[in-house]
Amino acid sequence: MAGVSSPPPMDEKAKRTRDLLASFYTNTSNSNSAAPSSPSAASNLTPRSPSSLDSINSPSFDASSYMSLLVQKSNLEGLLQKHVQMAAEIKNLDTDLQMLVYENYNKFISATDTIKRMKSNILGMETNMEQLLAKITSVQSKSDSVNTSLFEKREHIEKLHRSRNLLRKVQFIYDLPSRLNKCIKAEAYADAVRFFTGAKPIFEAYGDSSFQECKRASEEAINTVIQNLQEKLYSDSEPIEARAEAVVLLKQLNFPVDNLKTSLLEKLEDCLLKLEDESKDVSVGEISKTFRAYLIIFPDSEQRLIELAQGLFSRRYDAVRYQLKKRMLSVDLLELLGIIWEDVTTVDQVLPEAALPAYSLESTCSSIRQHISIAFSHLQHEISDAVAGSQSKSNEGRDELDLHIVLENSKKAAMQGSLDLLVELRQFFDEKLELLPKLRELITDWVQEGFQEFFQNLEKHFILLSGSRTNNCPLGESNHSGVLTQSPDKLPTGLVLVLSQLAVFIEQSVIPKITEEIAASFSGGGVRVYEYGPAFIPGEICRLFRSAGEKLLHLYINMKTRKISVVSKKRFTTPNWIKHKEPREVHMFVDILLQELEGVKIEVKQILPCGVIKRHRNSDSVGSGSTNSSRSHPNAMREDKLTRSNTQRARSQFLESHLAKLFEQKMEIFTKVEYTQESVISTVIKLCLKSLQEFVRLQTLNRSGYQQIQLDMEFLKAPLKQLVDDDDAAIDFLLKEVNNAAHERCLDPILLEAPILDKLISAKLVKNKDLSASPL
Amino acid sequence: MQGASTGIVYGGLKYQARCIADVRADPDHTSFLAGTLSLKEENEVHLIRLSPSGNELLCEGLFYHQNEIWDLKSCPYDSRILSTVYTSGETYGASVWKIPEISSQSNSPQLDQLVSLDDHTAKIKSVLWWPLGKHDKLVTIDERNIFVWSIDSSNKIAKVISQESVGMLHNLSGGAWDPHDRNAVAAICDSSLQCWDLRTMKNANAIEHAHIRDVDYNPKKQHILATAEDEFGIRLWDLRMPKIPLKELPGHSHWTWAVRHNPEYDGLILSAGTDSTVNLWQVSVGSEDPAIDSPRDKRSRQIDPLLNSYTDYEDSIYGIAWSSQDPSVFASLSYDGRVVVESVKPYIQRK
Repeated sequence: MAGVSSPPPMDEKAKRTRDLLASFYTNTSNSNSAAPSSPSAASNLTPRSPSSLDSINSPSFDASSYMSLLVQKSNLEGLLQKHVQMAAEIKNLDTDLQMLVYENYNKFISATDTIKRMKSNILGMETNMEQLLAKITSVQSKSDSVNTSLFEKREHIEKLHRSRNLLRKVQFIYDLPSRLNKCIKAEAYADAVRFFTGAKPIFEAYGDSSFQECKRASEEAINTVIQNLQEKLYSDSEPIEARAEAVVLLKQLNFPVDNLKTSLLEKLEDCLLKLEDESKDVSVGEISKTFRAYLIIFPDSEQRLIELAQGLFSRRYDAVRYQLKKRMLSVDLLELLGIIWEDVTTVDQVLPEAALPAYSLESTCSSIRQHISIAFSHLQHEISDAVAGSQSKSNEGRDELDLHIVLENSKKAAMQGSLDLLVELRQFFDEKLELLPKLRELITDWVQEGFQEFFQNLEKHFILLSGSRTNNCPLGESNHSGVLTQSPDKLPTGLVLVLSQLAVFIEQSVIPKITEEIAASFSGGGVRVYEYGPAFIPGEICRLFRSAGEKLLHLYINMKTRKISVVSKKRFTTPNWIKHKEPREVHMFVDILLQELEGVKIEVKQILPCGVIKRHRNSDSVGSGSTNSSRSHPNAMREDKLTRSNTQRARSQFLESHLAKLFEQKMEIFTKVEYTQESVISTVIKLCLKSLQEFVRLQTLNRSGYQQIQLDMEFLKAPLKQLVDDDDAAIDFLLKEVNNAAHERCLDPILLEAPILDKLISAKLVKNKDLSASPL
Repeated sequence: MQGASTGIVYGGLKYQARCIADVRADPDHTSFLAGTLSLKEENEVHLIRLSPSGNELLCEGLFYHQNEIWDLKSCPYDSRILSTVYTSGETYGASVWKIPEISSQSNSPQLDQLVSLDDHTAKIKSVLWWPLGKHDKLVTIDERNIFVWSIDSSNKIAKVISQESVGMLHNLSGGAWDPHDRNAVAAICDSSLQCWDLRTMKNANAIEHAHIRDVDYNPKKQHILATAEDEFGIRLWDLRMPKIPLKELPGHSHWTWAVRHNPEYDGLILSAGTDSTVNLWQVSVGSEDPAIDSPRDKRSRQIDPLLNSYTDYEDSIYGIAWSSQDPSVFASLSYDGRVVVESVKPYIQRK
C-alpha cells in the first residue's frame, strides 16, 4: 500500500501487522480519536501535508490528497489495480483482527479455570501444619532431658582426661633428664633441645617448687648439650651442616650466639694475620673453606667476612707495595701478584659479594704501575750514579778523573740500563697470568709514559746536575719533584762535558733503539685519553736531548771561559795601568791562562771526538782567508809607521783602522760550536781573547802598560796556535784585536822593539822550561 | 756594508764611543745624544735627530767636550740639559751641562757647564736622573759611594744631600733609578745588585751572586727589572723574590753589555753585546701570565723569545737607547762610533 509500484515482501507485511497492532492497543488506551485508522477511514482523514502521501501509517496521512494525487498520477488501469489491491489488504486486516480477538478470549477462559482449582486445593493444609508443630515440640523436650541427665558424667570424664594429661606431662618432665641424657648419648641434640624447650615453660612456672630436682638435672643435661654443641661448632672437623645445626640449636636455647660468632671470627682474623706473618702454614684454600663454613653457619656474618677478606688482600697488596719500594725484578713481582690473584679467585668463589677481583685488579694495576715507575727512577739513579758516583770516587782517591771511562760507563749505563729495563718489563706480557692480558694495553701505556717521563726527568736531572740552575732555577721551570732532590755540588767542569756528550749519545743511539724496541713489543696501547698525545714521543725527547746537549756544551764552554775571565779580570783591574812599569817579563797571568786552556784540552780530548781537521778552512769559511792576508797588511803598515814616527796622530790611526776594517771581511768569531775537540777548544780560546780585548778597552794605559800587553799577547801567540790546530787566522786576528784595543786605549802607544820582545819571550820560555824540568 | 741592512746609519761620530741616550724631554723629535770616547782628542757630544721623513739621521748639534765620556744621560725634563761622566788620564769627574742655544754663528760650541759634581773620592761610574720627569734630585755612583744631590739647574747649584759608602769590599759599577719609586735605586756591585732606599740610604734588598753589567727597570711593571750578566745573559727579576729570577734569556755569544726595556711595549727588551749584535727579545712576565698557562701557552713558550738579532755591526756595542718619542725605534752605538737607528715595527706586529 505504501508504494505505488512494488508489491511488499513477506516480512514487510508481518512487520506492518505488528505495528498496526501496537498502534491499535496504544490508541485504544490513549484516545479513541485515532481508532478508525483503518483503510476505510482513510478518506475521512483531513489532508495535512502533501509530503506524507506515501506513509499511510503516519498520523499525518492525508487521505484526500493522497487520493487526488493518486488520481492525477495513475491511469484507469492503475486505479483499478490499486482498488483490487486495497480491497485485498482490507480483507486481510479483517481476518487478522478476528484471530486476535479469538486468541485473547481463549486465554481468559483458561485463567478462570486455574483460579477455581486453586481455591479448592488450599483448604486442607491448615490441619497438617498444626500436627507438625506438636511433634517438633515433643522432640525438643526429650533432647533437653537427655542432655541434663548426661551432663555430670561428661564433666567427670573431662576432668579425668585433664588429670591424665597432666600426669603425662609430669611424667615427661620427670623423665626429661634421663631422656636428655639418652639423647646426649645418641647425639640427638635436636631432640634434646626440642624436649627441653617443651618443658621450659613448666620449669619456669614451677621450677622453684615441685620440679626443683628435676629442673636442675635437666638443666645440667642441657648444659652438657650446650657444651657439646659448642664443641661441635668450634671443631673444624665436623661437617658444616652439623655445625650450622648446632648454631640453630644453640640459638633455640637462647644461648648468646653472637658472642660465639664474634669469637669465631676473631679466631679467623687471627688466623688470617698469622697467614701473613708466617706466610704458608694455612693455605688460602682452607681459609676460603672456613669462609664458606661461616657463611653457612652465620648467614648474617657476610658483611664481616667481606671486610675480613678485603682486609686480608689489602694487607697483602700493601706488603707487595712495600716490597716494591726496594727494587725487585718483574718476575718476582709477577710471581707475587700471581699467587695473590689465585688466592683472590679462590676466595671470590666463596665470597663473590666482596668484589675482590675488581679490587685485586685495581691493586695489581697500581702495583705494576708503581713497579714501572720505580724501575725507571732506579734506572735514572744508575745513570746519574755512573756520572756522579765516579766523581765522588775520584774525590776519595784523589786520582785524576778519567773522563773517558766515566763517559763510557755512563753511556753503557744509559743504553744497557734502558734495554734491560725493557726486556724486564716485557715479562709482563710473557707471563701467563690471568689478569695480565686485561692490563696489557695499560701496561703498554705505562711503559711508554714511563720512558717519556724518564727521559724528561733525565734531561732535567742532567741540567740540574750540571749545576747551571742549582740555586737560581727560573720560576716557570722550577724543580720538578720527580727530579732527584740530592743537591748536587757543582760538578767538575769535565763532567758537564761528559753529560753533554751523554745527552748526544742518548739522542743519537739510545732513543732510536728504545723506539725500535717499544715499537716491537710495546706498541698499541692507546687506552689512555689522547688529549695529552701519545705516550712516548721519541721526536720530542730527541729534541729535548739535542738542546740539552747543546746547552751543556755551551755551559761547559761558559764555565771554562768564566774561570779564565775571572783570572783576566783580576789581571786587568788590579794594576794601575797608567802608572805601569816598564815590562820586564811576560806576566804570570799568561801561564795561568795557558794552564787553564791546557786543562780544557785534556778534558776535551778524553771525551769529544776528533773533528775533521779543516786545513782548507780558509776556502770554505767566509772571511778567514781574506782576513788573514788582508789584515796583516794594514797592520804591518801601521807598525811601520809607528816605528817610523811616534808622532803619528791617533785620529788618523783611527780612520785607518776603520779603513782597514772596511777592507776586511767580518771575522766570524762566534761560530756554531760542534761536538769536536777543535771546535770546543777554539771557541773557548776565542771567547777568552775577546774578553781580553774588552777588558783592555775599559782601561787607560801608559806606554809601559801597552808594551806589557803587547808582550803578553806576543807570547801567547805560539802556544795558542798550538792548541788550536785549524784556526790560526782567528787567533791571529783576535790577538791583534787585543793589541789594537790596547793601542787605542794607550796615551802614548809606542811598541816594544822587536829585539827586546824576542829577548823577553825567550827568557820566559827558558824559565818555563826550567820550571817544568825542576820538579822532575 | 752588508746588503740586508735595514737601519739608518749615522756616521758622524769620528771617534770611538760608548754612550748614547734618548732625549726624553724632546716631545717633537726622535733625538739621541751620543758622546765619544777618545783618549787623545777633544771629544764631542752629538745631538742626533731622526729626520721627519724617518729615513735620515741629522746632526742637530755638535758640542765639544774636553774629556772622554764614559757615561752620558739626558735630563728627562729638559731637553737641553745632560750629564756626563768623564775621565782624563787619572782624573775623573761628572758634570751637568746645558746645551747652548743653537745659533748659526758657531758650528761646534762648548757646552755650558751648569754644575760640576765633584765631591767624589773614587772613580765615578754613572749619573742617574729620575727617569720619568721633573725631580730635583740626582744620584751619582762612584766605585765606593752613592751620592744624592739636590740640583737646581737654574741657579747652577748642586748640593750633596746624603752620601753613603758601600765599603771597600764592594765595587760599584753602575745603577738604575726605579721609575715607580723615587726612593729606590738599584746599584750594580761586584757580585750583587743592591737596592738602595734613598731616604735611609740603606741597602734594602739585594740580588746576590750575580755579576751584572747593566740593569734596567721595567717601566710598566713595578718591581720587575732586567739584568745583563756575563754568566747568564739576560735575567728578569722580581725584586720581591730576589732569590730566583723570573726568566732567563741566553743573551749574547760574548758578554751581554746592556739591556733596555721598551718604554711602551711591555715585554719587549733590547740587549747589546760585545759580540757585535743587538738582540730584540719578547718575554712576558707578570701576573697575567699564569692565567693563560694552558697547553697553548706551553707551545708559545717554545717560541724563541729572540725576535730578531741585528748583526750588521763591526764592533762591540755598548750603547743602546729606545726612543721615548717613538717607542718602536731604537738607536744603537757600536764602539767604532757608528749610530744605527732601527725600527722594530715588523716584530711588534708579529706579536
